[in-house]
Amino acid sequence: MRLRPFRVVVVGNGMVGSRFAADLLAVAGPDGTHRARPLRVTVLGDEVHEPYNRVLLSEVVAGRADVGALTLPSTGDERAEVHRGATAIAIDRGSRTVLTSDGAFPYDAVVLATGSAARVPDVPGLDPGPGGTLPAGVHALRSLDDAREIVAASTHARRAVVIGAGVLGLEVACGLARRGLAVTVVHGGASPMDRQLGPDAGLAASRTLADLGITVRTGVRTREVVVHGVGDRGAVATGIVLVPDVGRSPRDAGAPGARGGGGSGAPDLTGEGDEIPADLLVLACGTVPEATLARTAGLTVDRGVVVGHGLASPDDPDVHAIGDCAQPPEGGTGLVAQGWDQSRRLAALLAERLSDATSHADAPAPARAARRVRLTDDARPSMALRIALDVGRSAGDLPGPAPRETRPRATAPTDRPPPPAAPTDVVRLKAAGLDVVAMGVCGARRAHDPSHRTLRLTDPDAGRHVEVVVAGGYLVGATVVGAPQVGADLTATYTRRIPVPADPAHLLLRPVAQAAAPASDPTHMPDRTTVCRCNGVTKGDVVASWREGARSTADIARATRATTGCGGCQDVVCGLADWLRTTDPEQPVPASSSVLEPASVQG
Amino acid sequence: MVARPGRAAPSGSGADTHCPYCALQCGMSLTPAPPEVPDGGASPRVVVAPREFPTNKGGLCQKGWTSASLLGASDRLTVPLVRDRAVDAAGAVTRGELRPATWDEALGRVVRGITAIQAESGRDAVAVFGGGGLTNEKAYALGKLARTVLRTANIDYNGRFCMASAAAGANRAFGADRGLPFPLADLAGADAVLLLGSNLAETMPPAVQHLAGVRERAGLVVVDPRRTATAALTGAGEAGGAAGAPSQGLHLQPVPGTDLVVLLALLHVVWAEGLADEEYLAARVSGVDDVRRAVAAWWPERAETVCGISADELRRVARLLAAASPARGGRGAYVLTGRGVEQSTQGTATVTAAIDLALALGLPGRTGSGYGAITGQGNGQGGREHGQKADQLPGYRTIGDPAARAHVAGVWGVDPASLPGPGRPAVELLRSLGTPRGPRALLVHGSNVLVSAPNATYVAERLDALDLLVVCDLVPSETALRADVVLPVTQWAEEEGTMTSLEGRVIRRRRAVTPPVGVRSELWVFAELARRLGSTVPFPLDPAEVFDELARASAGGVADYSGLSHARLDADEAAGGPGLFWPVPAVSPAGGEAHPGTPRLFLDRFRTPDGRARMVAVDHVGPSDDVRPDAPVYLVTGRVLQHYQSGAQTRRVPELDRSVPGPSVEMHPILGFRLGIQDGDPVRLTSARGEVRAPARWSDKIRPDTVFMPFHWSGAGSVNRITTDATDPVSGMPEFKVCAVAVAPDPASEVIA
Repeated sequence: MRLRPFRVVVVGNGMVGSRFAADLLAVAGPDGTHRARPLRVTVLGDEVHEPYNRVLLSEVVAGRADVGALTLPSTGDERAEVHRGATAIAIDRGSRTVLTSDGAFPYDAVVLATGSAARVPDVPGLDPGPGGTLPAGVHALRSLDDAREIVAASTHARRAVVIGAGVLGLEVACGLARRGLAVTVVHGGASPMDRQLGPDAGLAASRTLADLGITVRTGVRTREVVVHGVGDRGAVATGIVLVPDVGRSPRDAGAPGARGGGGSGAPDLTGEGDEIPADLLVLACGTVPEATLARTAGLTVDRGVVVGHGLASPDDPDVHAIGDCAQPPEGGTGLVAQGWDQSRRLAALLAERLSDATSHADAPAPARAARRVRLTDDARPSMALRIALDVGRSAGDLPGPAPRETRPRATAPTDRPPPPAAPTDVVRLKAAGLDVVAMGVCGARRAHDPSHRTLRLTDPDAGRHVEVVVAGGYLVGATVVGAPQVGADLTATYTRRIPVPADPAHLLLRPVAQAAAPASDPTHMPDRTTVCRCNGVTKGDVVASWREGARSTADIARATRATTGCGGCQDVVCGLADWLRTTDPEQPVPASSSVLEPASVQG
Repeated sequence: MVARPGRAAPSGSGADTHCPYCALQCGMSLTPAPPEVPDGGASPRVVVAPREFPTNKGGLCQKGWTSASLLGASDRLTVPLVRDRAVDAAGAVTRGELRPATWDEALGRVVRGITAIQAESGRDAVAVFGGGGLTNEKAYALGKLARTVLRTANIDYNGRFCMASAAAGANRAFGADRGLPFPLADLAGADAVLLLGSNLAETMPPAVQHLAGVRERAGLVVVDPRRTATAALTGAGEAGGAAGAPSQGLHLQPVPGTDLVVLLALLHVVWAEGLADEEYLAARVSGVDDVRRAVAAWWPERAETVCGISADELRRVARLLAAASPARGGRGAYVLTGRGVEQSTQGTATVTAAIDLALALGLPGRTGSGYGAITGQGNGQGGREHGQKADQLPGYRTIGDPAARAHVAGVWGVDPASLPGPGRPAVELLRSLGTPRGPRALLVHGSNVLVSAPNATYVAERLDALDLLVVCDLVPSETALRADVVLPVTQWAEEEGTMTSLEGRVIRRRRAVTPPVGVRSELWVFAELARRLGSTVPFPLDPAEVFDELARASAGGVADYSGLSHARLDADEAAGGPGLFWPVPAVSPAGGEAHPGTPRLFLDRFRTPDGRARMVAVDHVGPSDDVRPDAPVYLVTGRVLQHYQSGAQTRRVPELDRSVPGPSVEMHPILGFRLGIQDGDPVRLTSARGEVRAPARWSDKIRPDTVFMPFHWSGAGSVNRITTDATDPVSGMPEFKVCAVAVAPDPASEVIA
């Protein structure tokens, strides 16, 4: 009997859509395995490009990544067909078909991975012209074409303004500064990246931005984009007009970033707006999930396409959404790590459906993946904490101190116990010259939680700030500016849920390495210091050999074997011999030469 | 030290030979001990002196210097041992003590056991486990015994624990696996050396001399979760810095199990920053686009969040390597891997990524640059070429290849159809022992699996479930003590043969002393077993003759030794020749000259069918046994300078035993503070497989999320009781190097102490 294929249509061929197709094909295994239905995957991508790494667009702008290095794997599996430049127009849930302008694609399951679009602020000058185009000189950064246009524009532009000092805004600002442009970043919040950085961390970041020659204007609102010329051909942006953002506290006064800026360190911006001229304007004002398809199909859409823990719409179990277009119960983070995690999870779920469809009754149900952590908290407490507590509880249910494996495990990765999902809410800025990483509980607007203990090391003048939030013996949040290796260590601690040190202050700095005993001062070198590691020879052994008559490095080598391995201790042994010669010149030389024989003759 | 090349002395009067331990195979001379040297109890028989040789350049480590002690080990086996089994009426088996027996009785017991078991349960019910310390001759003869006399598919060896992932990766990429496809001394000229998961300053110290040049040029990059003696050679990470010692390179200290991510990020940077050698890739490599796309997903900041190395550090390393590459005008660069990255469930993938990186930079197949794996065991290279691997026939031939079977069967004088097919790789083989469909008898040669295999407690159970365990050894190793029959065999300075060093150089092991009375060579044991089992297949006793047969069997294979003989090796050495690296075909390239050997492989083409190296896209999965709330600390395992492998030899050398008498748990003081464990306190490590105990040793050279234990000991501190036996899906190599443990103070030990 030949089973009808199980058809999955993936809408979106970006970082998450293309990854999902690969994940699903991999986890489902070749056709015919496990008596599953054959699998057919159709990927519809509106861009004509092969899938590429959107996260690196700011690196392209910065000139730090070659465009060719962005191309992502494209499935070559014969069970998949990929349509590029195919924009999905509608989902017909009645006939279970996705429609494009020139085709209809029936599905058993449809997966929306349409991503998000750049948010264009609603200010005069940016009113969408005919066809929704932005005025010349104004760019969002969402696609490869956007990046190429910005790079092209940057070769002639001298002054750039970036609207928005979030992650993307700062990456673009640093990138354009690296290209030699005079860059101003304007931001409504009180400090840059305030979603991830508290005020002190923001101050440290501002300091570094200033050192990079970037002007940061915070607590301001763009009143308008100044556009010269009109019509779809001639409209050219020449700058923006800023006004104080009355809704927020203008805390930037005196911030280092204001130094040498557009002439306004003081928050005196009332009345007249402050015009900042620019020949390149980049919008980095956040993103809007692309949920139009779902909305027109009658599915619940809030900020994004609402999905449950199984990543399916509550209105239709055959419609799924992952990545930036989705709004899962824990909220979307806008980070690709979350989308890739969802891709992996959904691939596993759909693969289960493949085999369930034919073998529900007679086969034992495959071991369910580890209980999904319930993420229902609106306040978004740290993902690490929630997972840690959850897993901790489940381990506590078991008798005995630790679960034991009694049988050796099979080697196939799929047979491994499913690892508990690692937190995916780590934000790592990619900006030349500015190192920022934030995770879990962080940001200027985070709610106070009495169970949290927060430790800070703040060093704004050096552009450095390290802040950790600890609860229940775990790291539940961290903010690191200007301390890259500390940031990397904290990320490892956070994502792996490593228990924190007895004194969490140890998290704030890298432990200081023990100073090696300086070889230049044999007097203070302890006798037990190993001089020659290859042969386990200590300073004491060398001194003893001297006392027994060795007078040169060669003598010492014969007596102790020091220097006879890799030879790396030659200088130290010479130094010891010199020192012994000056401090211990009159030791009697024993008559017998046999003690100078290498100990190896003892065999 | 005056070099006396090629001195093949008559038995009993000393010889120029090589160290008994690691794959560096340091040159040494053994001379009879002068009578005036006082006898320190264990009768001193020979004196060790270092000898000029290209790998050790006259250096020896403590293990080499003291190696002669082994010849006088107080518990040296000199008589066969047999354990009696009694079966009572209820069928319960009682196992007696090992007792001395004659060779005739012991071999008779083995032959009766094999015959009965094979008659009842089939040929594959007898399994063979070899070792990477056996000479080429013994490894070859062991494989031949398994395939022609026992005719079992089930033969594998402890090299599966060491070299299988590197071998799988290199074979896939280059079509040939020779650990270093270039002489070790070539490293001296490079501008950069990336060393992943190798602690050669501790495991083969004299090799450090070859890094002097690259260190002077600040080009040594060591990737290791610990600041090992090797990592310290970079000069990086030493505190104070006040001394102003110039940096000699970089040390990356990743989270255990994430070396692959480091490599993927380096590859990413190479392409993102336009540093690849595109001309070389176009001319000599296939699969480039797949890899380029795969690493597009591993930008440095993402890699940082997984591997714990800061993004800028990753970029710096990629640029350093690229600047050293020939395409960018550098003197050359090498990418080298060791067990630290290979003993992993993603070991083959990690080796593959290392090769991909080397290829992207245009290194392999160029003089002065390349990729290599640093072989560990003394004959870890030769041991994997001559047919003791489950899927191989001599000459590095594939056992499933009909042409290979026909050729080798011809040399052996048997019907190709009579040769078994591929058997189970080591871990699977050990797991299957004594199970309903698994082997019922096991012959062990040159291996101490009870200490060196992962999940060793389970291995002990499997060994106990056998009907017959036969161990050939020099000393009563832990595995020998569990055997039914123990056969005392010759060692190192008591025998002739060849070894193949980490560079693929074929070298002579020479006899310096007469073996103790009662001890036999394994070559004799194989011949005797064959004869007693009624086989007519010849098993020569003279190692030179065995070698000649091996050479014929290897002819035309990847590892072609057919142009070599003991006599040629001796003559080359006596003439101060450059050494002979395989392949050395009997057929000379042109004219009448003998083939000169192949110090550098792949200069013209790779050994793949189309001559191009193959890049393969790989991705990171992570350790099979990752940290979790009830086991929140990584355990990594490794070695100390004073001991070798399972310690069966080095623990019997008094000087080495005194230097490092037992295991310890290296931990960062920050971890110690959290757990209330002071330096020296007894510690208990618990994994999903069991627990071990050892004293803590505080060190700031290790990550605070990781503990380290060396594996050379048995008993309560035998770390392989808790390592995982999950294996790499391609190579079958177990994941010794990382698992998750709970760490706790061990008050029980304190009471005892």
